[in-house]
Amino acid sequence: MTPALDAKANEILLRYEQPKAAMLPLLWLVQENQGYVSAEAEAWVGRMLGVARSHVREAVSFYNMFHTKPVGRRELRVCTSLPCLLRGAGELMDRIRETLKIGPGETTPGGEVLLTEVECLCACEIAPMAQLDERYVGPLEGPSVDSIIRDSLTQPGRPESTPEPEPYLSTDGPVLSTHFKDPGGTWLDDYLTDDGYVAARKVLTSMTPQDVIDEVTSANLRGLGGAGFPAGRKWSFVPKETDKPKYLVVNADEGEPGTFKDRYILERDPHALLEGMLIAAFAIGSHKAYVYIRGEYFRSAKRLQRAIDEATGKGWLGQDIQGTGFDLDVVIHRGAGAYICGEETALLTSLEGGKGFPRLKPPFPAISGLFQCPTIVNNVETLACVPFILRNGAEHFARIGTERQGGTRLFCVCGHVVRPGVYEEPVSITLRELIEKAGGVRDGNRLKAVIPGGISAKILAADEIDVAMDFDSLKAAGTMAGSGGVIVMDETTSMVQALDSAARFFADESCGQCSPCREGTGWVHRILRRIIDGQGSLRDLDELLAIAGDMEGNTICVFADAAAWPVQSYITKFRDEFEEYIRSGRSTEQKETAECPA
Amino acid sequence: MPSLTIDGREVSVADGTMVIQAAETLGIFIPRYCYHPALSIAGNCRICLVEVERIPKLQIACNTPVSEGMVVHTKSAMAEDGRRAVLEFLLANHPLDCPVCDQSGECDLQDYYMNFGLYNPRFREHKVKKQKAVELGPHVMLDQERCILCSRCVRFTDEITKTGEFGIFNRGDRAELGLYPGDVLDNPYSANVVDICPVGALTEKDFRFKARVWYLSSAPTLCNGCSQGCNVDLHYVLDRPHLNDGARVARIKPRYNPDVNQWWLCDEGRYGFEWLDKERLTKVRGPSQRSTDPQTHGPTDSQTQTSWDQALQTISAALAGSDHEQGSPRIGVIASAQLTCEELFLIRQIFRDALGAQVTASVPEEPGSSDDFLIKADKNPNTLGATLLGLAGPDAPAAAQIVDAAIDGNLEALWVFGHDLVELFGEEKVRQLSEKVSLFVYSGTNENPTVPLAHWVLPSAAYVEKDGTFVNCHGRVQRIGRAFGPIGDSREDWRFLLELAGKLGLSFDGSGPEGIFRGLAEHVTAFEGLSYDTIGTQGVALRTESVGL
Ligand SMILES: Cc1cc2nc3c(=O)[nH]c(=O)nc-3n(C[C@H](O)[C@H](O)[C@H](O)COP(=O)(O)O)c2cc1C
Ligand code: SF4
Ligand code: FES
Repeated sequence: MTPALDAKANEILLRYEQPKAAMLPLLWLVQENQGYVSAEAEAWVGRMLGVARSHVREAVSFYNMFHTKPVGRRELRVCTSLPCLLRGAGELMDRIRETLKIGPGETTPGGEVLLTEVECLCACEIAPMAQLDERYVGPLEGPSVDSIIRDSLTQPGRPESTPEPEPYLSTDGPVLSTHFKDPGGTWLDDYLTDDGYVAARKVLTSMTPQDVIDEVTSANLRGLGGAGFPAGRKWSFVPKETDKPKYLVVNADEGEPGTFKDRYILERDPHALLEGMLIAAFAIGSHKAYVYIRGEYFRSAKRLQRAIDEATGKGWLGQDIQGTGFDLDVVIHRGAGAYICGEETALLTSLEGGKGFPRLKPPFPAISGLFQCPTIVNNVETLACVPFILRNGAEHFARIGTERQGGTRLFCVCGHVVRPGVYEEPVSITLRELIEKAGGVRDGNRLKAVIPGGISAKILAADEIDVAMDFDSLKAAGTMAGSGGVIVMDETTSMVQALDSAARFFADESCGQCSPCREGTGWVHRILRRIIDGQGSLRDLDELLAIAGDMEGNTICVFADAAAWPVQSYITKFRDEFEEYIRSGRSTEQKETAECPA
Repeated sequence: MPSLTIDGREVSVADGTMVIQAAETLGIFIPRYCYHPALSIAGNCRICLVEVERIPKLQIACNTPVSEGMVVHTKSAMAEDGRRAVLEFLLANHPLDCPVCDQSGECDLQDYYMNFGLYNPRFREHKVKKQKAVELGPHVMLDQERCILCSRCVRFTDEITKTGEFGIFNRGDRAELGLYPGDVLDNPYSANVVDICPVGALTEKDFRFKARVWYLSSAPTLCNGCSQGCNVDLHYVLDRPHLNDGARVARIKPRYNPDVNQWWLCDEGRYGFEWLDKERLTKVRGPSQRSTDPQTHGPTDSQTQTSWDQALQTISAALAGSDHEQGSPRIGVIASAQLTCEELFLIRQIFRDALGAQVTASVPEEPGSSDDFLIKADKNPNTLGATLLGLAGPDAPAAAQIVDAAIDGNLEALWVFGHDLVELFGEEKVRQLSEKVSLFVYSGTNENPTVPLAHWVLPSAAYVEKDGTFVNCHGRVQRIGRAFGPIGDSREDWRFLLELAGKLGLSFDGSGPEGIFRGLAEHVTAFEGLSYDTIGTQGVALRTESVGL
């Protein structure tokens, strides 16, 4: 470990209130410098942080992105989660394995590339996709498969042949997508020209925190990370009479399979997020904000950092913002490959340098969160709505949506649609309309099922799609709006394989602290593997339902519930198909009768 | 003080109390794995699920604070089904190797299955394979497959010893308990993790495969390893010589005492019991002819076996004959802070007060290791008791004085209780003194180099073979308890001291330690008003001013 690393580490430590919080950045630092985290590096990190080596190893082993041995010069992460699987990730993986002649977890004999099989990288709009080092590529079909394999064998830094993805993206707002046009991102000058930071200036110069909270409350802004909790209400929970510092934490750990919206905000309109953060920080009286970005979002983190630097340079962040006396520092904290860190309390434990273990509630973060201080965690998209609300008025925003949920959402439509992509639509849009916007079901096929809000949401059958996409309507329909990730499945989909894929995701991603979740997710997945292998029996279905029932509602966080819901909804709604599969030991091309919405 | 109802019974407890503790005050036991009152709350095992009225989901009793009017059901159908489910999950990947598991018989998986489970197992998949029989350190073995990841041990090394050895690595059902590769679990309190492990994941290396726990008997006593006086249970087996390598004492477990050791015990105390069954003095020996060693031409003391009666008769006659009217004492006694208060009291009354002997329990021992938790440098369990009786501390003569007096021919008789004078003063001095005095009595529990140099050897019962009291370094008087009778011909020190007193014509309450304690409580102010009943199983703090603390 060199003195240069020591110096860099000491600089990183200054960003955090507690040394242990620098765990992930120091591990990243080591891995970037040495290619992997050696035992020597673990000891060094432990010393720098004053943490036992065992706890450094806990972190290294918990997060998927750290290597403990030297690996290939490059890393090719191939996503085989459900949305990619629906679009051919299985075949993609097979072709890569055959060509590179290695399996997942292995490095080519010449040391060129490490092949890694990963769960959802949240780029389902370009499925089937992969990530070569820091870069997202897809859809990988036809010639682009050859070029990604070629690229993965070339030296990093050399020109690459795989083209930049060009998925469909809303670009004309009204709320969130107005700055999405330029793939290179919208930067401060352009942002300012387009009424950027006008809302922040208004807030800082003419409003009280309570005014801001009231405005956001009457806009009916709901948390868009998945739970739909009213944002203004959440902010009002922060204790006003306290000597403790308060923190604003942005959840940019986008990880829910089928979701790919926050990345576009981070990469194409980062100042919208920063302005929203500035307003939220003012409302809750926070002067320090952290943005927790999932580890795979290298480019998002870089672009947001660029925006932070710009804003700081122009006095929109830092000390005495625009001469108003308000201070706000923003620190980017990168995750390292663990879906559960999207759960807000796991995110906080992870930020504090631990494994991403969700915490017992109460206390809720608003009372005791980061470093035991009052903390508000909001999703990127939620905060990106805030400047619009303060600029155009709560009423305008509220009017766009439904009675209890204002505004639009960036709906992520993927799977078997003609045009996967990000669609900004009022939350009152129906699922059927949304699928139509995406060009309808591909190849003129019939719709079979849709997951409306990320893989955790209960599945809807083809005849259940005339439902509005706001939180309350989807809840009434027995599922949830969740993260806005819409996964469309056509008649060619095997529900057994889809559930197996979902079950693998939950077994891979359970943090493992609660007995029902740790054991239940693995158990469910093993039963499904057995069924897939033709060794299932009919009683397995009832047992799966019973295990799911036993997992539900009995754990620290709702991950276990989320793992149970697909089991329950797929088996109940498609039981015949499951039984048929078990009887015949294989998948049948079962046709659904619903109309093709296209 | 909110009041709440648990299983139909009302109780008021302090604000902030968790339901699991509130239930305990009613004698209602809610099962738990991860919860331990000494550790932070993890809430991960989920076995303590209870139903709370007006909350739709089951709640974990270990992290649900009581509130006014709360109504809790621990045995409702919903609560029982929740516990059944959690148990089934915990046992899904469990290896079920109870027949070869040392925990068997005291395992919370077994117990809760019998009490709360009894479902028909449904798990038919392959179990996750992990490492078995991993040696973590000098005392602790790990079986990763049996581990239920409750994290008690991790929290113990993080929060109690602050040594941080344990970690749970990986995630999901690949999560496994372990140490950092290459690390050793050898902190001074390492074996406590075995006690708090609710299952057979962490077991004692020392006790491994020695005996099934249901063959063990248990007796409450103290650790005599240092002056802290940690409360322990002694686990022993008497009637099955094929078990435990034929030794009686199988293991020592800490016994909860909030004022002394809480739930804990140091490894040194826990494993310092070998002497109870090894190299014990079991026979009374007296002087035979004195001979000269043909090789060194020095004297050797050869002892022959004799009887208690013979020995005490001769010794008492010799003691009675040594005249102390002529100024300085003719008898020296080096007593020991390993003896009970009762025994020290008898020694004081008989030797110091009746026979005018020079008596001390102040022996120049090197201080041992210590820390700011339990381990004390003074390795004697009853130094403070001896001090309160005036046999140690500033007023007592130094042992070296007595030894010198003996060598200088100023003593006729010397009685040493348990000390290895050879180690303390060197063999040469002990040989000289043995030549000089006409009566040299050694009473003690084990062989040591001083024993062959004594004229008389009286085998003493070990502290676990007798009753009595110790006063710990914080001025707390606590009872030791007799687990089983003295080995061989050995006798409790109090017993032969009473017999000796009788032969000397002195009278004491002869009923045993409890009666002796009554006399002690009358004579020594610090103990005033105390009795075995008031001391009970947890001890009593002596009034501090009387202890001089
Ligand atoms: C298993 C799990 C995963 C989650 N993942 C994310 C995520 O990736 N991004 C996110 O913003 N919220 C996620 N959430 C929701 C957060 O816990 C939290 O509700 C949210 O960040 C709050 O912000 P909001 O109110 O602005 O939505 C997740 C929740 C759970 C239970
Ligand atoms: S429910 Fe699962 S993911 Fe959530 S805390 Fe428990 S084990 Fe971790
Ligand atoms: S004892 Fe309450 S969750 Fe483990």
